[in-house]
Amino acid sequence: MRGAKLFTAFLMVSVTLLLAACSWVAQENGLPSWHPEALGEGRPDCTECHQDQIKGIGKPNGTFKHTTQFIKQHRLYASQDQELCAICHRTSFCNDCHASDLEIKPSVKLGNRPDRELIHRGDYLSLHMIDGKLDPVSCYRCHGRNNNEKCIVCHR
Amino acid sequence: MKKSWHSLALTLTLAAYPLCLAQAADLGMEGTTIFRFEQRAFPGFTKSTVVPATQFLGADLDKLGDGNLSLHLYGWGRVDLANRSTAEGPSDGDLSYGYLSYRFPTAKAALKAGRFFVNEGVAAEQIDGVSARATLKKGFALALFAGAPVQLDRDSNNKGNFIAGGRGSYRLNGLLELGVSGLHEANVRVDPASGSRQDRDLVGGDLWFSPERHLELNGHTFYNTATSGLAEHSYLLTLKPQKDFTLSGNYNQNKFKNYFTYSNIHSLFNPDRDGELKSYGGAAAWTGFAPAELSADFKRFSRSSNSNLDSNGNSNRYGAELRLTLLDSKLRSGFAYHRVDGAASFNAYHEVRGFGQYNSGRYVASLDAIGQFYRDSIFNKKEAFEVICSTGYQVLPDLALSGELSYGQNPRLNDDLKGVLRLTFNYLAADKGAKK
Repeated sequence: MRGAKLFTAFLMVSVTLLLAACSWVAQENGLPSWHPEALGEGRPDCTECHQDQIKGIGKPNGTFKHTTQFIKQHRLYASQDQELCAICHRTSFCNDCHASDLEIKPSVKLGNRPDRELIHRGDYLSLHMIDGKLDPVSCYRCHGRNNNEKCIVCHR
Repeated sequence: MKKSWHSLALTLTLAAYPLCLAQAADLGMEGTTIFRFEQRAFPGFTKSTVVPATQFLGADLDKLGDGNLSLHLYGWGRVDLANRSTAEGPSDGDLSYGYLSYRFPTAKAALKAGRFFVNEGVAAEQIDGVSARATLKKGFALALFAGAPVQLDRDSNNKGNFIAGGRGSYRLNGLLELGVSGLHEANVRVDPASGSRQDRDLVGGDLWFSPERHLELNGHTFYNTATSGLAEHSYLLTLKPQKDFTLSGNYNQNKFKNYFTYSNIHSLFNPDRDGELKSYGGAAAWTGFAPAELSADFKRFSRSSNSNLDSNGNSNRYGAELRLTLLDSKLRSGFAYHRVDGAASFNAYHEVRGFGQYNSGRYVASLDAIGQFYRDSIFNKKEAFEVICSTGYQVLPDLALSGELSYGQNPRLNDDLKGVLRLTFNYLAADKGAKK
């Protein structure tokens, strides 16, 4: 059993390496590792400088304009184009909210940034009894399998 | 198996660290030290003083080796300086991620090894393992991963012992992206009472479609092959009639039996209760009156179940937000109102929030207030509020000191007074991307 799993993992990596080495791989340049200019605090609007499609992504810059709604629905964009997110955001930026074991809720860790769209502000311990009945799926996305050490204090 | 993956990933990462540090051509370091101060007094319990000190520490070492290799580490540790702050021990810690990444110069190809977060179609997992991705010719792309899911602290059996999956996609520039993804996790505990285990198998399809530059549709459908049923539909339609105006509509559907199957809090996300949630809504955002951004949103939730009738019913959430960005972004403020109309057996509430923040570059100050007003009392109270006053000083270009004092009242606490002291270190060898 263990050998079979190791073999599966080995096979997957080998196939990928093989693909990378063979002519199937596109020869176009990849995305830059970082946005070449530093960006200030606040929500960026890519279209202020970039008018066209994003090379290597094939989608317009306007698709990724950071409006309130974009931030609330960012999971749909990140699951397709996470390498684009990584041009501006370090992994630790995502990790402030998306981690297996969050020690401090994001709105407290970043309490000096009230302008950030952070979840569970205020007394959410009381509010979660209402929101959880209304939409348990939104709870499950973050706490269903991860980051639920605090949930099990009551929900055993 | 699980331990061997953990050991392999951590050994690789830790072994590489000093070597990489010595060779790092491009270094990013960040650290946040947070002291929280709370006094807790509940009727019938001894008053306690809680002062947890938490250190977050991260490093990004880029341009290693031939310039394409990088190392990324992040973790935290906490010590209680007074009474215990959690139900766990007086100290705790976690390696959030630690991985080596190699980016090939072409084809967006990359390899990763260590502990990292995978977000590929149906998979949103933290694993100890390896991943690879590359863009292929004619618009195709492939991403694969394998390893062990990162276990939670409380026991060593809350996840499976092996996970693998991937996503393949096809893209027509500017018009279409279609993705197919799958995930297999072996030996997941699905019933803590009996300890029974089964494999977790999900497949998904995702879409981005823009037939006209003012119109976009994206979303996904996930299917649980172990229970042979739909787990999730989630779709977003975005319309941009003007540069400054965005309209969007969304539709979501989840079947609990297939979506909650693998939860490790079985009593809370119980798939055996069956049931379904459908939600749809819309939002509008207008940035035409710069520096103001106005947005409004509405969402309707419909829960149905044959076995848990108390949860059935329709609920609505709607509201609006106004944001103002003034003085060359030094002053940012916002005001929001939202209303939740719960179904008959649910509670309902109004939520009001306002904030203002001024950042001169050297000094930062902000005031943030939030209030919630319930239709039905919770523990004999009909409202909760919290006011947070924050101030900070940029001691050095990469070092900032900040703190908050907050006061609130809520159904659990007559007075809730808290303090936070924060020291933030954020160093980047070169100006690039966002500072965070």
